[in-house]
Amino acid sequence: MTRLTRRRLLGNAAAAGAIAGAGPSLAQAAYPNRPVTVICPWAAGGGTDATVRIIASLLEKEFKQPFNVVNRTGGSGVVGHAAIASATPDGYTLGMLTVEIAMMHWQGLTELAPGSYAPLALMNEDPPGIQVNVNSPHKTIKDLADAIKASPAGKLKASGTGQGGIWHLALIGWLVAMGLKPNHVAWVPSNGAAPAMQDLAAGGLDIVTCSVPEARTMIEAGKAKSLAIMAPARNPQFKDVPTLKEALGIDYATGAWRGIAAPKGVPADIAQKLTAALKKVNESAEFRDFMANRGFGVKWADAPGFATFMADSDAAMGKAMDAAGLKKA
Amino acid sequence: MDTLYEALRLVFQPDVMLAILLASIYGLVVGSLPGLSATMATALLVPITFYLSPIAAVATIIAASAMAIFSGDIPGCLLRIPGTPASAAYTDEAYAMTRKGQPELALGICVWFSAIGGIIGTISLIVLAPPLANMALEFSTYEYFWLAFLGLMCSTLVARSSPVKAIASMLIGLLISCIGMENPAGTPRFTFGATDLLGGIEPIPALVGVFALSEVMRAMTTAEPPRLPRRRFGSILKGMIALTRKYPKPQVRGNIVGIIIGVLPGAGADMAAWVSYAMSKRLSKEPEKFGTGHPEGLIEAGASNNASLASGWVPSLLFGIPGDTITAIAIGVLFMKGLNPGPTLFTEKASSMYALYIIFIIANILMIPLGIIMIRIASFVLRAPRSAIMPVIVLLCAVGSFATGNNLFLVITLAAFGVIGYVMERNGYPVAALVLGIIMGTMVEQSFVTSLIKSDGSIWPFFSRPVAAILAALTFAALLWPAFIWVNQRRRRAAA
Amino acid sequence: MHLPDKVSGLFLVGLGVAAAYGGSRLPPVPGQQIGPDVFPMVVGIGLAICGALIALGIGRHFEEEAEADLAAHSDQPAPGATRSKWAVGLKVLLPPALLLFYVVAVDRLGFVPTGAVMVLATALALGARLKLALPLALIAPVGVHLVFYKLLRVPLPDGLLPMPW
Repeated sequence: MTRLTRRRLLGNAAAAGAIAGAGPSLAQAAYPNRPVTVICPWAAGGGTDATVRIIASLLEKEFKQPFNVVNRTGGSGVVGHAAIASATPDGYTLGMLTVEIAMMHWQGLTELAPGSYAPLALMNEDPPGIQVNVNSPHKTIKDLADAIKASPAGKLKASGTGQGGIWHLALIGWLVAMGLKPNHVAWVPSNGAAPAMQDLAAGGLDIVTCSVPEARTMIEAGKAKSLAIMAPARNPQFKDVPTLKEALGIDYATGAWRGIAAPKGVPADIAQKLTAALKKVNESAEFRDFMANRGFGVKWADAPGFATFMADSDAAMGKAMDAAGLKKA
Repeated sequence: MDTLYEALRLVFQPDVMLAILLASIYGLVVGSLPGLSATMATALLVPITFYLSPIAAVATIIAASAMAIFSGDIPGCLLRIPGTPASAAYTDEAYAMTRKGQPELALGICVWFSAIGGIIGTISLIVLAPPLANMALEFSTYEYFWLAFLGLMCSTLVARSSPVKAIASMLIGLLISCIGMENPAGTPRFTFGATDLLGGIEPIPALVGVFALSEVMRAMTTAEPPRLPRRRFGSILKGMIALTRKYPKPQVRGNIVGIIIGVLPGAGADMAAWVSYAMSKRLSKEPEKFGTGHPEGLIEAGASNNASLASGWVPSLLFGIPGDTITAIAIGVLFMKGLNPGPTLFTEKASSMYALYIIFIIANILMIPLGIIMIRIASFVLRAPRSAIMPVIVLLCAVGSFATGNNLFLVITLAAFGVIGYVMERNGYPVAALVLGIIMGTMVEQSFVTSLIKSDGSIWPFFSRPVAAILAALTFAALLWPAFIWVNQRRRRAAA
Repeated sequence: MHLPDKVSGLFLVGLGVAAAYGGSRLPPVPGQQIGPDVFPMVVGIGLAICGALIALGIGRHFEEEAEADLAAHSDQPAPGATRSKWAVGLKVLLPPALLLFYVVAVDRLGFVPTGAVMVLATALALGARLKLALPLALIAPVGVHLVFYKLLRVPLPDGLLPMPW
């Protein structure tokens, strides 16, 4: 804490100098010369919050300036995402975008879309796994897929998040890829992955689609098992779980992702500096260890890469939401 | 034995002890600020835990959360501003004691029985973790529905008002919980196109509004009350030992109820406090004294919410399912520090587990001296004139509400609920029941709708599963209770 | 704002009916038999029934008994008589009005000046002398700012008067 205080004091002194116009060299002091705010559109304590905080603390080391995380919650993520988009584009306000930014506008909840930001870097992606109770009769993903196809629509129940949430769309995407109707497996909305996993263990559900880190403890406790992941490659922490492509020949992959962005119009040199620093953070041992410990997947894309990635994700989500009947005309 | 020795060695390190002490003080201070909840206190600690050893990191979380839950009682008792939703159940009772000139006694009860509840909860964690966790896994949405419904019925029991008005208040709370899109259908409801309403009404600003702001509004119309009569309470602890002897049963009951509710994921300290307070009133020999500053309900509910805090760790440690928002944060820290939750934590890392238990007990013991110091300091607030305290409360309410989401809309929420609370109170509608409805609404709807989806619309599983059947019977008993006394009183009156 | 039970009861009937009607107009969700309309309708109808019971005066004697109990077991004197009606009505609304002022002004004026106005107004309304109210208005916001901004990292806006920390 004391270290931080001193840094902040120095920062303030520098800022004060700049305001007073102490001299051209000081006034144009290199970015960042005062604390930077990083907006997290989700509440403190969640996975997104944890990811933002580790990134901010590593950026702080990199730039020797405080990077303060501010949780701007409300409106199911809309408020925080809006706050990032509407902040002054001076590089002193950044934020974390989550997959919801590629979903909410399709539902007509906001005007904001991935294109409303200046993307800086993609930091994480977690593909969903397909989990069943450990006593489930379906031993492999092939068994399960056959059982789904053979069962009447709506008989099997799946959960993992709320109605129209990312894991619901993942299930729909998979069903559609198998040539089935999006509601062939009934979706039971839940308040996040943890209650869904609990209900799976309690025998109330047939399938849970949620990210592997969310399912991990139940799997390790021997209450559930993961049959496949919807990713292009296997998860190194769960080597035995095949991808959908390997097991079923279905080339379907999706995931929840998180990345850092700035408001549109941020100066190019600052954006480049931040992307370079974020690359260092992404490659650092601290970040990798942290993400590995939490079971979160690390992913990297620079600014243009992140922009394309978001555009792809946006299109895919739009398609899935359309199939689910959630898209607002 | 070796593991226990190893655990003690892990805990009695200078850095761990220092972390516990500092986190305790921090938790006490943050918890006592209106609007800042125990959850927030814990969340703010997470970045600091990056730099700590695993045991020290977990120790800060445990110590800060336990202290914050207790110190949430302080503003509730002194100013009628519940610091956390968990203390809302008995805020009126504690405040009534303060108005009788017994603030130290009320807070003493909170600290003493919180500490005992916490220690007993920890013992349950040590002895019963695996069976308790398996019990929690028996709970499907059907059981949760009855549990939530039962929780709602408590509103009629806690209020000192007409049961009809209490139910009406609770229904208004449920209606408020409908706002937003955090419902099973994910559809925006009653948002009137406002983005800020999409996420629904935040409980904390609402809570602070109906309790604290409405209190300030009332102060505007009434003349300054005469100075509180100061009764001397030599030693806080001495009074507590006497109370422990006088009320053994409520205390034990509070602990048991707290442990059971705490173990169930999603039903945390808030619900434990409500259920225990209602139960205490129901089973007391002097129910008419409840609400007038009577220690019995405080003892039971205070013990209950801290017991639930410890037992809430059971599902978190065994299955990684958070028992409440605090353990949700704690799970993150556990993962980060390589103490991954799961049964292996109990076998392969047994010494770390024991260390965790020891920290729990230390934190709860430390709560007594630190809490007493805090009470002595805080009760100075009451000696200041009202015109100096109330303005600061208004400011604290604004900042505290803003801080829950760093969103100015929360301040508008606060203002609106101040007005709602004031009007309701003036007309005999209990605001505590409103708060209960807001807190529990989502859970009631979620469990009801998802159960029906799972059963394809049949209500049979609500009654056919054994645990569900028991809970259903209890619910109907609670539901018929006001009607029963009404008829009974009619008869008595007719006879007289 | 003391209303007869008839008025508050009828208001609740109206609120309940409005909620049930508003709920019934919510669109169903594809693939869910129990849509978002069910819960608001159940709650709305329940509220309307409670409102009707209240308007009819059922359960009123519980309140009278409770008030009698409260009087018997509390040695607190009844609150003092209220003063002139209209002045009182406006004064009651001062705290929420100040909060709205906070919402409007805080980003422009900054936290400390806005807070000072709020503290000063509340203190004076409660009958504090200037000797107490002015120092309080100068010190309290700065103290609150120190704790929340510095220690708890709540982003309070600087506005016109940034603090030196």
